[in-house]
Amino acid sequence: MNNSPKLELLVGAFVVLGLAAVAYLTLHLGKGSMLGGDTYRIEARFTNAGGLNPGSSVVVAGVPVGRVESVRVDPADFSAIADLRVISGLKLPTDTIASIKTTGLIGDKYILLAPGAEESTLTPGSRITDTESSVDLESLIGKMAFGSVEKDNPKAPTP
Amino acid sequence: MIRRLLPTLLTLCLLTTLSLGQVAEAQQRLKTAVAEVLAVADRAPNKSVLPNRVRSVLTKHVNFETMTRRAVGPGWRQFTPQQQQQATQLFSTLIIRSYSAKFTPGEHPAITYLNASSPASGRVDVPTRMVYQGSHYNVTYRLERALGWQITDVVIEGVSMIANYRSQLDAQFKKGGASAVISSLNQSLSRTP
Repeated sequence: MNNSPKLELLVGAFVVLGLAAVAYLTLHLGKGSMLGGDTYRIEARFTNAGGLNPGSSVVVAGVPVGRVESVRVDPADFSAIADLRVISGLKLPTDTIASIKTTGLIGDKYILLAPGAEESTLTPGSRITDTESSVDLESLIGKMAFGSVEKDNPKAPTP
Repeated sequence: MIRRLLPTLLTLCLLTTLSLGQVAEAQQRLKTAVAEVLAVADRAPNKSVLPNRVRSVLTKHVNFETMTRRAVGPGWRQFTPQQQQQATQLFSTLIIRSYSAKFTPGEHPAITYLNASSPASGRVDVPTRMVYQGSHYNVTYRLERALGWQITDVVIEGVSMIANYRSQLDAQFKKGGASAVISSLNQSLSRTP
């Protein structure tokens, strides 16, 4: 029992070290620093970017090719602008469509880029405007469930 | 601080006034297109003649060539000019048929035009709310200026028509090239009456 202060100090230091390691991992893995090599920045404009976060992945044909850097609101028309970082080797046609998709039914959101047919390619800083925003599953279910209420059904009893 | 912001604000104002002009122009064009289609649909005695009658109106307002090219996606460049023409022909017929199949002569949709916006120069999005036969739909029309304003994509409940077809046709192209795309278009045409 006489060496307990030393032991307690050691345990304390070990716990602090563990916490620091966890903090480091959360910060670095979440940001997407796993993506190696050179990248360039493009923007995508959505009417609704719900569920999209900095660090969400950008995918072409199921292959991760980049990350979402930031999501902000365009003050001019209140649309959502997502800044994407895409690996430099990938040249995308200008009519590429960006869609916000969900992994599984209620999983994370990611951006799927579907390359188009145009010869010209997106330059760094250019903006994708052909986009599909996140499909709001709840509101769709709501429509299915409550759609009949909105119907102008002559047979429905008047309130 | 204000001095630094002023030029930005001025350019922003200028840009909005410029885009306001093209937004109004595109929206007007869409309204004309919708009115023309409805007028044609009203005059049709039955559903079977609708596709042929609607076609002449739609080819004026819808850019089927751009639509087909975008729907096919990256494979388009490997199509021969002849295959491109054939695909455009089939795709436009498919769109017109599935579009006119949704029509019931005599029924009128109530369309509310919401605030249109211009995400890029020469591009305008017109969101609308439509009530047709008792159901509500959110439909966004995407127009582009080529010779005049023309519809290049329709987004229904957040799902883009072009993106939807692109994922299907691109998969076909990866399976069997241009001929697979054309035969799959042929197949879906023979399936719809």
